Amino acid sequence: MMHNFLGKGFEAEFLYTFIVVVLCFLVYYKTKEIYELTKHQGIKYFRSAFLFFGLAYLSRFLLHIVILMGISFSFIISRRVMFLPVFTVPVTYLSTMAIFFLIYSTIWKKIKYKYFIILSNIIAISISVIAFCSKSLILISALQLLLLLITVVISTKDHRKTKKKYTRTLYFLISVLWLINLFLLSPGRILLFGSKIFFQAFSIIVFVVVYLKVLKWVK
Amino acid sequence: MSKKRERLEVIYDFLKIIQENHNSIKPTPLLRKTNLSSQSFNEYFQELLKKEFIKEIYDKNKKKYITLSDKGFHYLEKYKTILGFIDDFDL
Repeated sequence: MMHNFLGKGFEAEFLYTFIVVVLCFLVYYKTKEIYELTKHQGIKYFRSAFLFFGLAYLSRFLLHIVILMGISFSFIISRRVMFLPVFTVPVTYLSTMAIFFLIYSTIWKKIKYKYFIILSNIIAISISVIAFCSKSLILISALQLLLLLITVVISTKDHRKTKKKYTRTLYFLISVLWLINLFLLSPGRILLFGSKIFFQAFSIIVFVVVYLKVLKWVK
Repeated sequence: MSKKRERLEVIYDFLKIIQENHNSIKPTPLLRKTNLSSQSFNEYFQELLKKEFIKEIYDKNKKKYITLSDKGFHYLEKYKTILGFIDDFDL
């Protein structure tokens, strides 16, 4: 039975992924109209960030299943070794691009468009190649954390006088929560079930807050 | 204020002038009322035509008038929402 090898917490993981993915795609869908009216670059990157986060959470869920299958069917370990890197690549690429898009949506006026797209793709692909070769989600989390810190420093430098600290905190939380999620997915990184539920509930609250903020303007 | 914000405001003013003139205005008074240079006016004018925010119509004497399309009216309706959204999300 599938249920048996997927083990305890699978339902919670499925529900968590489902809610986050739906919220991300709703943010993307709800902002379609104002983007099409204005073609505003900031709105475009904001939408792209949530589209990529939605896809990243989906691919993370697939990776989660692959890891669980690998643990359950450890006697066919060679299959796990083959499949894990393949599933790690989309998770890494999509999430790196999502973080880039989210940060860039607030600093796009300072950096040229082509430069950003080329640079972000080079970095995202490079980290994906490292993910494929190393098969280490901890290393990927560390690299993305470093990337996030650098972009936050650049972003803060450009927006010292900003009054939108609440919004920026939400963006930061979304990115950090993703990194923690990825870190916890690594085999051996076991969090108590209750703690994990608490952490995932907090993550959902952050996405709900963003979605409600979007709904305030776009109904 | 950012250049992009200015652009959104210029588009709003452009469309608002047309609306306030009973949705029908000749190009020359429109140019005057928008307070834009001829070059900027032409750029915005072509952009708004291309995006189908405005339309060109001709009367029986073949004089050209500028009028708002449904999309133009929709932009005017949504303008405050758009600005609010951009500000709220720091975009």
